[in-house]
Amino acid sequence: MDIQDQWKIGDQLLTSRFFLGTGLFPNPFVQTQAIQVSGAEVLTFAIRRVNLASSEDDSILQHIEPDRFRFLPNTSGSRTAEEAVRIARLARASGLSDWIKVEIAADERTLLPDPIETLKATEILVKEGFTVLPYISDDPIMCRKLEEAGAAAIMPGGAPIGTGLGLLNPYHIGLIIEEAKVPVIVDAGLGTASDAALAMELGAAAVLMNTPVAKAQDPVKMALAMRLAIESGRLAYLAGRMPQKRYASASSEYHSLKIK
Amino acid sequence: MNTSFIVLGGGIIGLACALELRLRGAAVTVLEAETCGGQASGAAAGMLAPYSENPESPDEFFRLCRESLDLYPNWQQRIRELSGIDFEYTESGSLYAAYHEADLLALESRLRWQRQHGSSGELLRGAALVSAEPGLSRQVVAALRTPEERHVYAPDLVGALIAACLNAGVLIREQLGKLELAAWERGVEVRAAGDSGEAVFQADQLVICTGAWAGHLPSELGLELPVHPIRGQICAYPWDTRQAGTEPVRHMIFSSQGYLVQKANGTLVCGASEDVAGFDTSVTERGIARLLRWNRSVLPALEDRQPIHRWAGLRPATLDGRPLIGRLSRAERVILAAGHYRNGILLAPATAKLVADLAQGREAEPWQQAFRPERFHRQTVHRP
Repeated sequence: MDIQDQWKIGDQLLTSRFFLGTGLFPNPFVQTQAIQVSGAEVLTFAIRRVNLASSEDDSILQHIEPDRFRFLPNTSGSRTAEEAVRIARLARASGLSDWIKVEIAADERTLLPDPIETLKATEILVKEGFTVLPYISDDPIMCRKLEEAGAAAIMPGGAPIGTGLGLLNPYHIGLIIEEAKVPVIVDAGLGTASDAALAMELGAAAVLMNTPVAKAQDPVKMALAMRLAIESGRLAYLAGRMPQKRYASASSEYHSLKIK
Repeated sequence: MNTSFIVLGGGIIGLACALELRLRGAAVTVLEAETCGGQASGAAAGMLAPYSENPESPDEFFRLCRESLDLYPNWQQRIRELSGIDFEYTESGSLYAAYHEADLLALESRLRWQRQHGSSGELLRGAALVSAEPGLSRQVVAALRTPEERHVYAPDLVGALIAACLNAGVLIREQLGKLELAAWERGVEVRAAGDSGEAVFQADQLVICTGAWAGHLPSELGLELPVHPIRGQICAYPWDTRQAGTEPVRHMIFSSQGYLVQKANGTLVCGASEDVAGFDTSVTERGIARLLRWNRSVLPALEDRQPIHRWAGLRPATLDGRPLIGRLSRAERVILAAGHYRNGILLAPATAKLVADLAQGREAEPWQQAFRPERFHRQTVHRP
């Protein structure tokens, strides 16, 4: 078995397939522990709520050792490509990261992404040399267009952000994965470990989440559960599942049991 | 109520529970290892801000916070009357300062549900924001004002609460040193083994209100409580508004990095830096310096000011951020009320009411089950 199973975004080699958000945790103790047991190498946060002038002073980032993680700042809260681009430039100028998760909400109730503005922002930011990871609905055609625009990875949502509803359209996620030549990271809407395992079994390169861990009753235990689910989902994908059949077939064949 | 209670812990939660039980007719003794109000209660900035503390959704924790805010006017008035002591209680309202246009989406979603739950909040920008809080930095693009939020001066409130308890007939024993729970099955017995010699206290029931230390005691009950101390570092600038150039700060001002609140005693309190440092309550250079650097972008007048006072307290944190309030199923004479984290001052009246209701034999309402102390212990079979 290939235990290493490493993968890449741009030039960055990664081992963990768990991207974790840093928001919503009840306190720094639980946050630090959850990040540690998750094994995550990539951490995300909203640029708008970070102290960019001095990120080591930031109320959340101060608890995270910057050398141990790759940061994936996001443009959450922005409603146009222009706004997202402006925020992305601020994050890069502060030296935090040149990776950017484009997140542009079209609707404040569902926070569903605006596909047109997301595509625009992706085009602009790719030209400016960012490593762009757009968050987008689970639309296979839209995902193809983002890839053509130069996205380093595609991040379709399983369900609206923070809902915990799981993968509402596994068929679409499967199609997106089948067609993409860049990594597909299932982002948003997951609720529990089986959701993460399913995403990985479908062949996702990784899973990004925040609320399912931070808002679990025991976020540290849930971080571990998610890590194990992601690992076992990945292994199941690599192993290749058995075909589904309509009727039973005995695992020991009948004639082998007959006493002669 | 014809029952006797020991309340373990003389912080604001213990004192509030003791007073409520006493006013409902119980015999109550408060046992405090050191000094009443000597830990987090005395270190708190005293903000009563359920809306700013719950930006996400109207869940059970928000409900408890809001219920407590609603109880505050009468509760604090009663403490004044019972104690004869005055303390600051200022209906200032609050501002949550946004530094990016992108913050507005979150503030608008927050405002939408909070206006359905008792807030008369509004988003302020431009001239309206400047006139509401003239000293605010022009870097702030907009702010969410919540008029319902207010603050108390926590050390004076605790002082008055101690006097109110004593006047109502609560016995308070301080400086007891290490306290041990010796019996809890047929009756409650607590032993103190401090410098002043051994002492034994007995009662029918026990209320545990030991804040950040709550994780220690009930291990004897076979219950592991996930309560951890989180250090909160705070400082106070001199802010005497009778002096020229020092304009009053009208609202409590929150941002993603901290808060500022003007007190009637001529100080501007600024908090808080949170970190994990065990039970250490010392102040660190890093913890305070990050607040000072940030404050310039909230109130430019703070650019060349230095704080006169720096201190730290231990916030009792739980795994899910919610307090532990309820009767223990494995020890029916024991009620727990701890783990209030950032909201002990705000949650004192609602906690006291719930504890006294439970003490009188009422069942917790379904939504209050969210605070059950044993919620982290799921049923598992075949456990060694």
